[in-house]
Amino acid sequence: MIRAVAIFEIDRRVRAISTYVYFLLFAPLACLIMAATAGGIEGASVSFGGGGKVLANSPFTLANLTIGLSLFGLLVTAAVMGSAVYGDFECRIDPLIFTSRAGKTAYLAGRFLAASAVLILVFSGIGTGLWLGTLMPGLDHVRLGANHWTAYVAPYLSVVIPNVVILGALFFSVAVLSRRILPVYMISVLLLAAYLIAGTITHKIEHKFLAALVDPFGMTAFGYLTEYWTIVEKNTRVPGLEGFLLWNRLLWLALAGLLMGFTWWKFRMEHRAPAQQAARVDRSLLPRAATYPTWLHLTWMQFVETVKNIYFAVIVLAGAGFMVVSARTLGSIYGTPTYPVTYQVLELVGGTFALFILITITFYSGELVWRERDAGVNEIVDSMPLPGWSLWLSKLFALMLVQVLLECVLMVTGMAIQLAKGYSRLEPGLYLKDLFGLQLYDYWLVCALALAVHTLVNHKYLGHLVMVVYYLAYAFMDQFGFEHHLYNYSSHPDHDYSDMNGYGHFLGPVFWYYGYWSALAILLGLAVHLFWVRGLASGWRSRWSFARARFQAPQRKLAVAAGICFAAIGGFIFYNTNVLNPYRTRSQREKLQLRYEREYKAYEKSPGPMITTATLRVDLEPDQRRVRIHGHYDLANKFSEPISEVLLDLPQDWTIHTLRFSPEAHLERSDRALQTQTYRMAQPWPAGASGELEFDIEWQPHGFPNDTAPTDIVANGTFFNSGSLPQFGYDANGELSEDDTRRKYGLAPKPRAADIHDVAARRFTYISHDADWVQFEAVISTAPDQIAVAPGELVRDWSEGGRHLFQYRSRGKILNFFSVLSARYRVLRDRWNDVDLAIYYHPGHEYNLARMMKGVKASLDYCTRNFSPYQNKTVRIVEFPRYDQFAQSFPASIPYSESIGFIARVDPADEEDVDYPFYGTAHEVAHQWWAHQVIGGDVQGATVMSESLAQYTALMVMKQEYGPEHMKRFLKYEMDRYLGGRSSEKKQELPLIRCEGQSYIRYNKASVVFYALQDYVGEEAINRALRGYVQDVAFQEPPYTNALELEARLRAVMPAQYGYLIDDMFDAVTLYENRALSASWRTAANGKYEVKLKVAARKLKASEQGEEREVPLADWIDIGVFGDKEKLLYLQKHKIDRNEQEFTLLVDAIPVTAGIDPWNKLVDRSPDDNTIKVERQQ
Amino acid sequence: MELRIEGLSKTYSGGVRALRGVSLTIGAGIFGLLGPNGAGKSTLMRILATLQDADAGSAWLDDLDVLRDKDGVRRVLGYLPQEFGLYPKVTAAALLDHLARLKGISAGAERRALVEALLRQTNLWDARNQRLGAFSGGMKQRFGIAQALIGGPKLIIVDEPTAGLDPEERVRFHNLLGEIGEHVIVILSTHIVGDVSDLCRQMAVIHLGQVLTAGDPLQLAAELRGRIWQTSAERAKADEYRERLPVISARMNAGRRLVRVYAEESPGPEFQIIEPEVEDVYFSAVRRRS
Repeated sequence: MIRAVAIFEIDRRVRAISTYVYFLLFAPLACLIMAATAGGIEGASVSFGGGGKVLANSPFTLANLTIGLSLFGLLVTAAVMGSAVYGDFECRIDPLIFTSRAGKTAYLAGRFLAASAVLILVFSGIGTGLWLGTLMPGLDHVRLGANHWTAYVAPYLSVVIPNVVILGALFFSVAVLSRRILPVYMISVLLLAAYLIAGTITHKIEHKFLAALVDPFGMTAFGYLTEYWTIVEKNTRVPGLEGFLLWNRLLWLALAGLLMGFTWWKFRMEHRAPAQQAARVDRSLLPRAATYPTWLHLTWMQFVETVKNIYFAVIVLAGAGFMVVSARTLGSIYGTPTYPVTYQVLELVGGTFALFILITITFYSGELVWRERDAGVNEIVDSMPLPGWSLWLSKLFALMLVQVLLECVLMVTGMAIQLAKGYSRLEPGLYLKDLFGLQLYDYWLVCALALAVHTLVNHKYLGHLVMVVYYLAYAFMDQFGFEHHLYNYSSHPDHDYSDMNGYGHFLGPVFWYYGYWSALAILLGLAVHLFWVRGLASGWRSRWSFARARFQAPQRKLAVAAGICFAAIGGFIFYNTNVLNPYRTRSQREKLQLRYEREYKAYEKSPGPMITTATLRVDLEPDQRRVRIHGHYDLANKFSEPISEVLLDLPQDWTIHTLRFSPEAHLERSDRALQTQTYRMAQPWPAGASGELEFDIEWQPHGFPNDTAPTDIVANGTFFNSGSLPQFGYDANGELSEDDTRRKYGLAPKPRAADIHDVAARRFTYISHDADWVQFEAVISTAPDQIAVAPGELVRDWSEGGRHLFQYRSRGKILNFFSVLSARYRVLRDRWNDVDLAIYYHPGHEYNLARMMKGVKASLDYCTRNFSPYQNKTVRIVEFPRYDQFAQSFPASIPYSESIGFIARVDPADEEDVDYPFYGTAHEVAHQWWAHQVIGGDVQGATVMSESLAQYTALMVMKQEYGPEHMKRFLKYEMDRYLGGRSSEKKQELPLIRCEGQSYIRYNKASVVFYALQDYVGEEAINRALRGYVQDVAFQEPPYTNALELEARLRAVMPAQYGYLIDDMFDAVTLYENRALSASWRTAANGKYEVKLKVAARKLKASEQGEEREVPLADWIDIGVFGDKEKLLYLQKHKIDRNEQEFTLLVDAIPVTAGIDPWNKLVDRSPDDNTIKVERQQ
Repeated sequence: MELRIEGLSKTYSGGVRALRGVSLTIGAGIFGLLGPNGAGKSTLMRILATLQDADAGSAWLDDLDVLRDKDGVRRVLGYLPQEFGLYPKVTAAALLDHLARLKGISAGAERRALVEALLRQTNLWDARNQRLGAFSGGMKQRFGIAQALIGGPKLIIVDEPTAGLDPEERVRFHNLLGEIGEHVIVILSTHIVGDVSDLCRQMAVIHLGQVLTAGDPLQLAAELRGRIWQTSAERAKADEYRERLPVISARMNAGRRLVRVYAEESPGPEFQIIEPEVEDVYFSAVRRRS
């Protein structure tokens, strides 16, 4: 009987068009994405986990794509599973079926199986599409490997099919028990919320397992299963049902089974009279023209009806609930949250809650358009004496009112979150501006589109589908080379709010776009008016003739007016984005880079002038966002050959008023598109000769560009660096860098850095190729209420002609790397020995000044004590707007983003919080040594001497302040980031010493390595090595040092038995698989306890692509025993030279846990199995 | 064969008492269940068709416990609900075949023969490959009967089948019912008196959840002989009669208003005694009750 039920149902579905629509939705999309990933689509740049050396059809990429796309199928699952039984109620055949002899077991099981089979068929479109994608012509075959069918099938077995069963059971049960379809769609919204909430659990690193379990889609678990996979693993290993994913699937399949059991138990094959719905609708339809206009009345009725029901409440509660949950982790860095400042709450709202709003718009636009027809009163309403426009316009207004209500909910929720977190600096004005001034309008534009789509498509579910396609196009269009906002409905350039600079200069262009899209929305409204279905004729022929009849003089006038506005504003925007500012698509930009490399590469090897002093006069007009720089460079020919030609790189979009060499040089070529100029010396500059460059350059905005407007020079919070000054010579960073892109243009892969042994490359620091050390001086004038900051010591601060002027001068020689900042700062001053300390901050951002100041002092103290004296007399921390999220150390001056420390909320009572304002400051101050005293040559591993050593210093400063216990947690994050980072490596992972600038190596791996190193040989020994190193290489002349020299210093202080550590940690990529196997204890003599511990250990070395081979063990590894509350009872390094080893240890208290490398000092992908509970021996 | 219903009661969650101790004994042939809208007919039908549970009472089809042995009932049941739908995109033959399968007729050849026979019997053979969405009301109703006849049911329940049918379809439907109603129990619920007087040898009038009267329609009519009086009257006059006499019906006939009164003796000289019809049985039962 089950078979009979299932087969008929499958047959019915297979004959239904919707099944093919679903299939055809997936297959071409998957095919397109695969073709794009494999480089087959011009201008597209998508990777979806592939890219670089990870093949487009690698098992990992295939699984990622299949699972990701199947999540979009949530709505399809809801539709198919929901209607598996609901369909019978809907077309009222249930009495016939229920009085047959099918029985509920066969009925439910048959329908469920049939729907599952249909869904699997639909979802097989993804795999089919992906496979077809790999066969498309014009693909880049280096990005493709051989197709293995297992790689296509595996994600179905582990995720997609289980999801059909799990989610299917949920939708099926809800539809069966409620006998309605709406709750099914509501459940999908709730699932989405649950998924998103599961995603926020992981802001604390310990909760990965929980997060992996909670997500019903298995996506999070899949992410954790593969999070540390390397290139080789991604290309060869087929992700199966294992680890987190297996547990997740088992849990959810069990829950699904229980749910189906419950459904079977509750379900009765009985008839329920359908609820009478028509009456509810009727009330609103009778025009009450006497009191106020009918359309107003209709609007209000439809609005109330939309929001006064349980489904709307569910969506809103799900969204608000998600907001509240994710607010816990607001701005979290190292698991430590920030203060809930208003802009962050607003971003939360604009980001994730937006999803719920779009769902609301899509769903309710469909409901509103179909309202009368669904209730069966359309014939009554359509024949009423109402003007045609009032029927649809009232629906649009109702939908727009719903958005107003949602924004109110957001505002209240947002403020409630802030208050609940004890943050009372509410900014209602900012809420109003952002929610009602900006976001609301975005949504209103979508409302107009949704209503038009539903009207024109005239099929509810197809209409929803069209909207989903629009959302996807909106989000991903630019990745396929369609980057201009002008043809992406409702889009506009981004606007970033910053506490320092407010909305800055971002809103102007946004409002032009609002005008532009409003005109289009009016045209859409007109289309709705013309094609609105009134009456029973819904065929296209009759709708078309109705539309022609409705297109009368007023409509014509409106169409012409809106059309003219649309074209005029569009023209104005185009003038701004494409005429006043250069508009280039990704592929145009690539071609420009290509041309740069082809035409200018020759200059790379030819000698150029080197800057020896830089003197600047910078005039800032923050209000106008204008800056003019008069500069003077002293130049020298430091090479053995004469200089006869100079390539000059000029800042993009700046006006060059004058540019004059002396001795004289003639402009030979000016390349506008690339902003380069070539000069020929009147007389070649011989070796050792000197010269000068005078320049006068200016920048001011010209209209607005298509992308987000530049943020260098803003009303409050200007921050630009020496990149905005003329630079000499060929800049290899301007070349195309991705191997995939280079191959497309027939270029060989580009090494990320010169070989570590390359002495010629060490002629230059990795910071600049047109200077060694320079003298720097700048006079900066700015608005009278602003303070301007540049590197070096402040010489003079005065006012003149209504301007505020500052003179800065470097103390001694500095790197050719400077910055200019200007804002309305408040200043906190302090002193450390004879050094002036200051924090220039935005009033209101006082939260962490004390922590930062403490960090400055602790770092100064540590570095001067252990390395060398401080070369400057000042340390300044200078806040800049959050357009960028970093801090950067310049001589004596440290620009520091408002978003990464100023608003951190470190709870001193919470042991898990990391004081990153303190740590970050300590890191940046340490750069005054590691970069500004010791700077590496431009070869592999150069940043080890700057970033890694700054990281080491900050770790030691933090250890000193908070104790070694506190470091465990921080290092856990560093380990996780290292392992995760090497997993997203696209090219090659080299050992630390040859690091090519990858942040997961130079920061995260370096933290782990250096912390372990000082743990093995002692902090003092490491510092002794570093001290000697600084003495030798600080402020050195070329060739500059490399990481091999540093390594030699460290090696020299290693005791013989630990010599292998340098080989493993610096010269190789080494991983351990340490595991505690068993542990037991019994009481021994003298009140001691004897612990028997058995551990396993493996040591692996990974190749550049992540291929691993096991190497023999002869390593010293921590063996530890812990008592109650993790009290340390025993911790000693033991030599481990077998894969399994047993220890018998004596401790003073009852042991609770024990294990190998319990504090995770060594790189290990599963750190949690290192310790085990100690059982009492019987 | 006999269906015995005793003391059947059903109260809905809203407090509506749909059935109040209904007792009936129904033999083979077509049984007409007459009653106004909301009388409880459909509730009774659905309970007998296993789609709802009764609160109290019993129903036995010979020795089959109708209320408890639902599977047993479904084996012998043919049911044509008052309101039902059909998958609009499936053809008549395909759906009938599927329903036959669900009724437990698994042998393919047997089922195909049955489907053909039923489609021919209900005069739908020519439309067998049409989609059900394109069926007219009468065709849909005939399809309903076809599916109710699958598997030679012993108990056929037909709930208001002729509502909305045109006269020709109604006649066709009556003939169809007449053919099958000889050896099995057919319960025909309706509020159209003509259905009962045309088709049934047994009937019951049900109102407000109770059986008012039951028996052979002709006999019930005969029992009223000598007590039904009729006159034609103006509207005002008719209203006046209604005030003062037990009027059972006042309806238009060929443009005249005919007022019928139930009385032991002549209510007035303008009244004539007439031969009672089934309609009078129904109206007098309902009016006297209200």
